[in-house]
Amino acid sequence: MMKPIFRTVRALPLSGRIGLGLVLFWIAIAALAPLIAPYGVGTFVDEEVFSPASARLWLGSDYLGRDVLTRIIWGSRNTVFLALGAALMAVAIGTSVAMLAAIRGGWTDQILCRAMDTLISIPSKIFALVMVAAFGSSMTLLLAIAAFTYTPGNFRISRALAMNLVALDFVQVARARGERSFHIALREMLPNMIHPLLADLGLRFVFVVLLLSGLSFLGLGVQPPHADLGSLVRENISGLSSGALAIVAPAVAIATLTVGANLLIDAIKPGAKT
Amino acid sequence: MTEGAPLNRRSLLGAGIAGAGLLALPGCGPSRSGGRPLHGGMIRVATQITSTSDTLDPAKGAMATDYMRHFMLYNGLTCIDDDTMSPKLSLAKELASADRVTWHVDLRRGIRFHDGAELTSADVVYSLMRHKDPAVASKIGTIAKQLAEVTTDGRYGVVIRLVAANADLPTILAQSHFLIIKAGQEKPDGTGTGPFRLVEFSPGVRTIFDKNREYWVPGRPYLERVELFAIPDEVSRVNALLSGDVHAINALSPHSTRRVESNRDCAVVVTPSALYTDLIMRQDALPTGNPDFVQAVKHLLDRQLINRALYRNFGTIANDQPIAPFQPYYNPNVPQTHFDLDKARWHVKRAGLQGVRLPIYASTAANGSVDMASILQEHGAGVGLNFAVNRVPADGYWSTHWMRHPMTFGACNPRPTADLIFSLFYDSKATMNESGWKNDRFDRLLIEARGATDEALRTEIYGEMQQIVHDKCPVAIPVFISLIDAYDRRIKGVRPVPLGGFMGYRFAEYVWWED
Amino acid sequence: MAAAVSRRSPLASLLPLIAKRAASAVLTLFLVSMVVFAISALLPGDAAQESLGQSATPEQIAALRHEMGLDRPGYVRYAEWLTDMLSGDPGQSYVANQPVADIISQRLPNTLMLASVTAVLSVFAALAIGISSAINRGSRLDRALNIVTLSLVAIPEFLVATLGVLVFSVKLLLLPSIALVSEDATWSETLRSMALPVFSLGCIVVAQMARMIRAAVADQLDRSYVEMARLKGVPFSCIITFHVMPNALGPIINAVALSLSYLMGGALIVETIFNFPGLASLMVNAVTSRDIPLLQSCAMIFCATYLVLMLVADVVAILANPRLRA
Repeated sequence: MMKPIFRTVRALPLSGRIGLGLVLFWIAIAALAPLIAPYGVGTFVDEEVFSPASARLWLGSDYLGRDVLTRIIWGSRNTVFLALGAALMAVAIGTSVAMLAAIRGGWTDQILCRAMDTLISIPSKIFALVMVAAFGSSMTLLLAIAAFTYTPGNFRISRALAMNLVALDFVQVARARGERSFHIALREMLPNMIHPLLADLGLRFVFVVLLLSGLSFLGLGVQPPHADLGSLVRENISGLSSGALAIVAPAVAIATLTVGANLLIDAIKPGAKT
Repeated sequence: MTEGAPLNRRSLLGAGIAGAGLLALPGCGPSRSGGRPLHGGMIRVATQITSTSDTLDPAKGAMATDYMRHFMLYNGLTCIDDDTMSPKLSLAKELASADRVTWHVDLRRGIRFHDGAELTSADVVYSLMRHKDPAVASKIGTIAKQLAEVTTDGRYGVVIRLVAANADLPTILAQSHFLIIKAGQEKPDGTGTGPFRLVEFSPGVRTIFDKNREYWVPGRPYLERVELFAIPDEVSRVNALLSGDVHAINALSPHSTRRVESNRDCAVVVTPSALYTDLIMRQDALPTGNPDFVQAVKHLLDRQLINRALYRNFGTIANDQPIAPFQPYYNPNVPQTHFDLDKARWHVKRAGLQGVRLPIYASTAANGSVDMASILQEHGAGVGLNFAVNRVPADGYWSTHWMRHPMTFGACNPRPTADLIFSLFYDSKATMNESGWKNDRFDRLLIEARGATDEALRTEIYGEMQQIVHDKCPVAIPVFISLIDAYDRRIKGVRPVPLGGFMGYRFAEYVWWED
Repeated sequence: MAAAVSRRSPLASLLPLIAKRAASAVLTLFLVSMVVFAISALLPGDAAQESLGQSATPEQIAALRHEMGLDRPGYVRYAEWLTDMLSGDPGQSYVANQPVADIISQRLPNTLMLASVTAVLSVFAALAIGISSAINRGSRLDRALNIVTLSLVAIPEFLVATLGVLVFSVKLLLLPSIALVSEDATWSETLRSMALPVFSLGCIVVAQMARMIRAAVADQLDRSYVEMARLKGVPFSCIITFHVMPNALGPIINAVALSLSYLMGGALIVETIFNFPGLASLMVNAVTSRDIPLLQSCAMIFCATYLVLMLVADVVAILANPRLRA
């Protein structure tokens, strides 16, 4: 069971291994957040704001005098899980709709394409703004917004892949056998799309992380006292000119997470030769 | 009674404001100190808010950008004196009343609008009465209800009849909303009598003004041209000042003051104000309707921490009542409520509310409310109250959340009189009675104060009303928030005026530029 | 005669495609307008409440609603807007006392200017980065460029923009920190004040485009025809210009078009930080003031831009690669 995984890891180029390491590191931090965070996420631990690193506060304090390390640990939990969830949802929905469009063709295809064009042409941040104004901000809603935003992009890619597959013999044969669309999609097409889809999943993950930080700039992020990594950068931005750790640290966290994910995608992309 | 006497509140009550002494320095403004003002100079001013609803209509003014624009283009019958905070005459040469119900206005002669037309009583009647028309959508429609009738009395005379006595009319008329526009302009186009003429107005983008060379106040204004726009993002606003792209900004975060002060070319001006963000506990819901709950929350508010962490001690600790220590009629004898976990726990226990879960709705629409809610949540956990902070977008906050849940935050701008703040927000019949409380004694005192002729009696009545609000009203006011502006040091003549940022939104008329 | 037909034929064969796309574009625009109208109905409050604000009384709200025509049912307002729109009039703004067309015409040139300047510069930069790292795959240059683009993608755009302002405006006093766009500004003033917005916006799209261009070119380089041409002794620069690029153009132009559509609506954060009077912030403004006609028009513009860019991408791809014409 573990062996093929090891083999894949060993086959990865160095950059891929670094990427994998970074991604695993953040997933571990996210999963273990309640156990490893030194303070409460909203606890005021310091009288001074933007204080530098000390033995007590490893990454100093933020604009209200809270522990930056704690907030980054909890922030990574929100960011990683939201982004992973949204990316999975976007790819799952996008791909299944794309396969449906490819198999049915004709009017179904036309309508689905127009629907996706409609979605993609509404600027995502403004869409998010409207949704949050209408339904109030919550994790579920953020998840849904991020998933919706990146579904059409995945749809375009998977539809192109699926269209190529539908024309191939083995799918035609399955059709001729009278297999149901669902069966064709799951058994015949999906296995042949999985590699590019994985790469796309990683790409969407990075996009969602960035979308979330964009949303937090607009004040639409996770509910306080919690925050995602982007909100941490945003809320401490007044410390930027003095180079406070409170803003540098979460920025580095976002960078390592997204760079790690990107390196990993590049490495597992089919035909990647570096 | 008032001839030649200094214009304090007492003389005003008897006969309104009139007097020869005033004519020497028409209009309002700071008593000058320091150097002689120079003429000339162009400045760029950036405020914190702009949108396509920016307006040239004083009746529709909302927030600093509109107020500033209106004070530059128009004048009021009265204005507030910066030194004494009491009303002074502006377009009116005389404003007098025997019974404080019927007021007689005599206009200054020879004042001209920017298009050359002379200011007459018809303009005043039109400007005041339009607030009563619902289609105008005046922001102060509620206050304008007090105007029963406004009629002309010759070319320069106006008679204002109120529905009931109100000694504060001269102060009310100094509000930007009551500035005087040209008669018949359904959509005012910026033609006023004010110190600046309109050059360009694009809503949501910018407004450009040029000096009005025929301004009726001799010598003023000093600046040649002013460009007014907004930079809603605070960090960008500060950066624009520091890089010299704009010369005056408002609504600084207290956290930015150090940055501005470290720059030799810029200065910070802090104006203590009665602006506050309050936590509202609705009386028609539970557990917020429980007096013990209210007391617990008032003791849970860590006012020191809020002032320190959110406002870097620029604020003034408040005491759950709306009159700030530096305002007239402030009652210093109301005991201060302190952060006290034991007392809070005792109240929670007495009400049997341990373990209660309750959402607090906060929004950036109410300054600092999100962080205040976070602080309250943190301390609430210590006494068995589980608050959940629900941050909602500023967009739509006032129409959908404010006062609509058991616990929400409100925000209240400084009002010029104690009567206004109490009648707008604390009268049991007021539409903005945020908590929905009702106190008969308070309501009675409110009306009594309006008609009271004796200043000592008024002080006593307002003092008792503060005590009642502090003790009984389910609204918690942690701090009064100071307004922080910052200027390029080449702008001279700036000083804090407690009516609002930018010297009560009127700095453009008084400041000058020195290279 | 025959020659004339065959010369016209690449374009002529595209006409049915363009016609089909135009028809589906109209359908998409109609769908967008329905969606926008539907979600705007979900928004709490309406234009009357929002413009009266905190101190509104119920009578005032009712009066203003009547004034704005908001007391009529939604479908009536939508039908009215639609018929107006079909005759070319986007209607009257609820809050600004101006026709929507006037408001848009103040902002659209700004957005188009920002988007086009950014587009031109970033497409060149992305092509340079993407192609040079693709043909030098595995080299130090490739790795360095890879790290640069990766970190650009990784930093939140508001941080890039704020850092840019801190360095170039506040510390070095070189560039304006805000975009002071006006008609009377000279060209050099306009260019200077656009430098930082273009830079911040460019960072994001350049990185994304460059990575996709690299992938597309690298994919072609792996094909056997490249190997063949090299064996035949064709100079490498010729292979890139005449063989690889035409084939890679399809995916490249698609990536570029997708990125460019972001420059219109995605500029929101850059517009906010630099106080740039563009369409994205106008649309946010329309949402917060519940100005539905204005909101609709902004959505229509963004959608149309996207559709046009996609059509152009397809047409270019087909012209570049005759095999796709079938």
